[in-house]
Amino acid sequence: MAIQQADKLLKKHKDLHCAKVLKAIGLQRTGKQDEAFSLAQEVATLEPTDDNSLQALTILYREMHHPELVTKLYEAAVKKVPLSEEYHSHLFMAYARVGEYKKMQQAGMALYKIVPKNPYYFWSVMSLVMQAISAQDEKLAQTMFLPLAERMVEKMVKEEKIEAEAEVQLYFMILERLGKCVEALDVVRGPLGEKLTSELRSRENKCMMMYQRLQLWPECNALSYKLLLKNPDDWQFYLSYFDSLFHLMDKSWSQPEEGEHCVEGPVQTTVAEAVKFVVDRMEEQDKKESRPLRGPYLACLELIHRLRQRGCPDEKELGDPLELMVQFFGKFGDKPCCITDLKIYLHLLPPEQRSQFKNHLGELVPLGEAGEDGFGFPGDTKALQRHLCVCQLSRALGLQHALDTEGKLRLITELKAHYHYGLQFGKSCLKTELQFSDMYCLMAAHVYIDLWTETGDENMLWQSLGVLEEGLSFSPSNAQFKLLLLLLFCRLGAFQPVVDLYSSLDAKHVQHDTIGYLLTRYAGSLGQFAAASQSCNFSLRFFHSNQKDTSEYIIQAYKYGAFEKIPEFIAFRTRLNQSLHFAQVRTERMLLDLYTEADVTLSLEESVKAMGVCPEEDDIPWDNMRDNRDLTVLVSWDPKDRELTEEHRRLSLEEESVWLKVRSLTLRLLASLALLGHAPSPRNSDKTNENGISVKSSTLQTLLSQLDQTLETAAQITEKQTQYPFLGPPSSRLATALSSGSCHCQASALQLSLTLRELETTGLDDSSELQTQICNAFKSSVAQLQEMLSRCKGEVLEMKDGRLTTRPSLLETLVFFVETVCVLLWVASYSASVLRPLKSSLQKKKKKKKDSSTAMPVVLCGFQEWTGSLQGVVTQALDHVKGQEASLTALKLAALTLEEGYSQTQEECGFTRAAMDKVQSSYLGSLQELGDLLRKRADLLKSLKI
Amino acid sequence: MTTLRAFTCDDLFKFNNINLDPLTETYGIPFYLQYLAHWPEYFIVSEAPGGELMGYIMGKAEGSVAREEWHGHVTALSVAPEFRRLGLAAKLMEMLEEISERKGGFFVDLFVRVSNQVAVNMYKQLGYSVYRTVIEYYSASNGEPDEDAYDMRKALSRDTERKSIIPIPHPVRPEDIE
Repeated sequence: MAIQQADKLLKKHKDLHCAKVLKAIGLQRTGKQDEAFSLAQEVATLEPTDDNSLQALTILYREMHHPELVTKLYEAAVKKVPLSEEYHSHLFMAYARVGEYKKMQQAGMALYKIVPKNPYYFWSVMSLVMQAISAQDEKLAQTMFLPLAERMVEKMVKEEKIEAEAEVQLYFMILERLGKCVEALDVVRGPLGEKLTSELRSRENKCMMMYQRLQLWPECNALSYKLLLKNPDDWQFYLSYFDSLFHLMDKSWSQPEEGEHCVEGPVQTTVAEAVKFVVDRMEEQDKKESRPLRGPYLACLELIHRLRQRGCPDEKELGDPLELMVQFFGKFGDKPCCITDLKIYLHLLPPEQRSQFKNHLGELVPLGEAGEDGFGFPGDTKALQRHLCVCQLSRALGLQHALDTEGKLRLITELKAHYHYGLQFGKSCLKTELQFSDMYCLMAAHVYIDLWTETGDENMLWQSLGVLEEGLSFSPSNAQFKLLLLLLFCRLGAFQPVVDLYSSLDAKHVQHDTIGYLLTRYAGSLGQFAAASQSCNFSLRFFHSNQKDTSEYIIQAYKYGAFEKIPEFIAFRTRLNQSLHFAQVRTERMLLDLYTEADVTLSLEESVKAMGVCPEEDDIPWDNMRDNRDLTVLVSWDPKDRELTEEHRRLSLEEESVWLKVRSLTLRLLASLALLGHAPSPRNSDKTNENGISVKSSTLQTLLSQLDQTLETAAQITEKQTQYPFLGPPSSRLATALSSGSCHCQASALQLSLTLRELETTGLDDSSELQTQICNAFKSSVAQLQEMLSRCKGEVLEMKDGRLTTRPSLLETLVFFVETVCVLLWVASYSASVLRPLKSSLQKKKKKKKDSSTAMPVVLCGFQEWTGSLQGVVTQALDHVKGQEASLTALKLAALTLEEGYSQTQEECGFTRAAMDKVQSSYLGSLQELGDLLRKRADLLKSLKI
Repeated sequence: MTTLRAFTCDDLFKFNNINLDPLTETYGIPFYLQYLAHWPEYFIVSEAPGGELMGYIMGKAEGSVAREEWHGHVTALSVAPEFRRLGLAAKLMEMLEEISERKGGFFVDLFVRVSNQVAVNMYKQLGYSVYRTVIEYYSASNGEPDEDAYDMRKALSRDTERKSIIPIPHPVRPEDIE
């Protein structure tokens, strides 16, 4: 429609630039990229100066991801209209979009010369700061860019031309980056500092920052003290208060005898003063009519912790940590955050006091008379929260883990009883609200998981699923239930239920980066290719929009003078671009496309070209990879020694990176294979490969040796057998990939393609050694594949002695098998393309010589034998999949008797059964997808003839 | 007990415990960046001693001064479930009001789902009253009907006669609000 309108206009006014650009936008949005681009360029070369055309072109270039062309556009425009404030300002913004800081600096000054407005001047200054930040050479930043920026601001200060808060902030930023903290402090404290009014406590925050940098501990201490008197709940100032106090003590600082010793007021230098300060703050809260603040009480525990670290005996002045924590519980035990608060200080209790502590707390929980089952229940939600908090604390103290199986089962019964009892308090809750007793349910699930991991009893896992499903039915928007269910289903190898769970979390945008891994780690590895592809797409769409989006807001930050935000936005953009998850989904998405589509709709070569994979190019920032995964998104009350540590994070990132490297090399190798031009035959040696795209065999060789090295590193990593906390990061696919044999089988198949390439050059005569080598490789690849298939054998879901057992690893191994079949097929297809012309030229020769006695070269026989054997293995695999499908379908879960009574009610059994059904149906789904793909590959294999 | 500080881009990677709440919208990156670029002082987050994010408020200043409509607006306010019942939302609101006072706003306003009784009551306790109802302000997801919003306001000291909060009796449509 828009295109038609534009065409109409163009009929009347042939040279209406704007109409052409609008038409181009129309074309671009209907997917006609090339047409749109050439139409736009047609206008651009005429260097238009009308605002409409310029703006429309700006929009178009941005949408086409060519922001650099916008700069050219306005460069031309300002040349023609040199006094236009508007065009100069557009030019500045165009440079900002592509990060041309030097040109921005000049454009800003040019603007200021035309129209002497302060913001333009400071845009130029900020561009200098950005040159400093982006400079590779820190010396250049410190001796050239920043001093120049400083002088530019000083000039304005001297001329008393400083107008806005943003200008003062920028001045501060420059001084800070120059390390001129004293000067920065003078600015903040001086008359210029009076302009810092927007942000609350802006001057205080900036002073504090400088005091810490300058190690002005007296000032730091006095300011923290002052701020705490005003707000005794602001935690950051307790930390700076304690830090500064101990620094002062270490330096044996003493008050000067005369005069004011510190601009910020009184300084405290002894433990006694600090103790008194904290005790006073607590008493202040105790006396208050309104709700007491938690700050002072936690500050007391923090001070004990720090004194203890220093081996200072004065901690006794503050009281016994056990008593203090019991008191804290007395005051705040009915708040859901009580556990989070106290958890940090549980280490202050010696192990032998743990049970005692728990018992003390128990006395502070009002429960009703114990019923038949021996459990007493809370009368209201506050009592419930207190009781829950005791449970959470005893878990965090390791008391739950110390129980034996009987004890844990009894604990589960108790937690479930409290859960069910507590539901009555939330009868009027909306669907969007949580039930008061939800966390009991979650904890019961955690204890089930403890039992499962300790004893291997899969029933525990099923019951965990059951209790969570039940919880979700009463509290349909509880994200924690969904997350844990999701994780459990994934561990069971059942991806189908995960799709709905994840989508009901309504995770969007940046959440794709932080929790998207929960989906993408499992979808593909469990053979749910369609779902896998979709989950990758969600994430990719987010990452791809990032570049364009952030640039616009960097520009906005200039406009509004939010100079501090500019480096922050740039760092944010970089963090997203360097995301581990981004690199993973990018790679996996392409591999998935190849495995499922290449040679089905498009040929491998066409697919690779369409994706734009370039084998020589590695676009993954290996050295700066950012792990943006939120690995603590699942709530855990586990004791410290079972919690996720920094070391776990490091190991998980390491493992994921190596796995990513394997995958990315595999992708690039497949691309090389697809683009591996045939060796120039002697006759038409000058004929180049069509499209001009070809890959040298040396590229393949290099990538193969990189893959070999990576696989060695991978083997070392898997040897460590790192176990992460259950609620932490999932293990990567690395271990299964190695144990399935797929990596090595794929690597040797790709190596084989290189040998074939050699044969292509040598020809069939005089190559008997090479031919034998190839034939051996053929045979060994079949053996490897056969071996892999044998590792897939077994029942993925089985009912034995009235119990249901799963072996999800069989599914993962089967996926690797199928992937390997694809790779072998492509290598076979390449082999055929090499052997076919060799064979036909041989036949021609034979005809000429009328010689029928010569035997077929071994490699040709070998190839036929090879494809035949491959077909054989694939057929066996298909039979296996069919067999699995049949036995799964025949499995009547209804026949399973779940133990009711002691551990599960009839209702709970219902939920457990539902979960089992979901797992069964998901396995079937995976097998069907795998079977379908395998069948397609089998057909292609059959059609391979030379 | 909490650390109150400016919200930064890095917090977007840590706010899942707050944003996985069904009534808390996770916006696209541009939306957050727009607020950070334009009204950074109005975007405040609170952090627990263990480093967990507890809640945040995101707001802006807008409206015509001449028409006495210059005001602070609460775009989003959310507290993670485990940090509720501490008065944190009230504290964050208080900060937003103070910033709006400094900017010379006449009032502070916000939109809230009419069904979100917990929030409506909290805002009432903080001195807000329903100024008008906006019909079908919240577009529905997954088959539920669109939902109305209350436009709630609280006068600031500049509006000495509290003219800005005199309720409009008839509901308005989203397209009629500025």
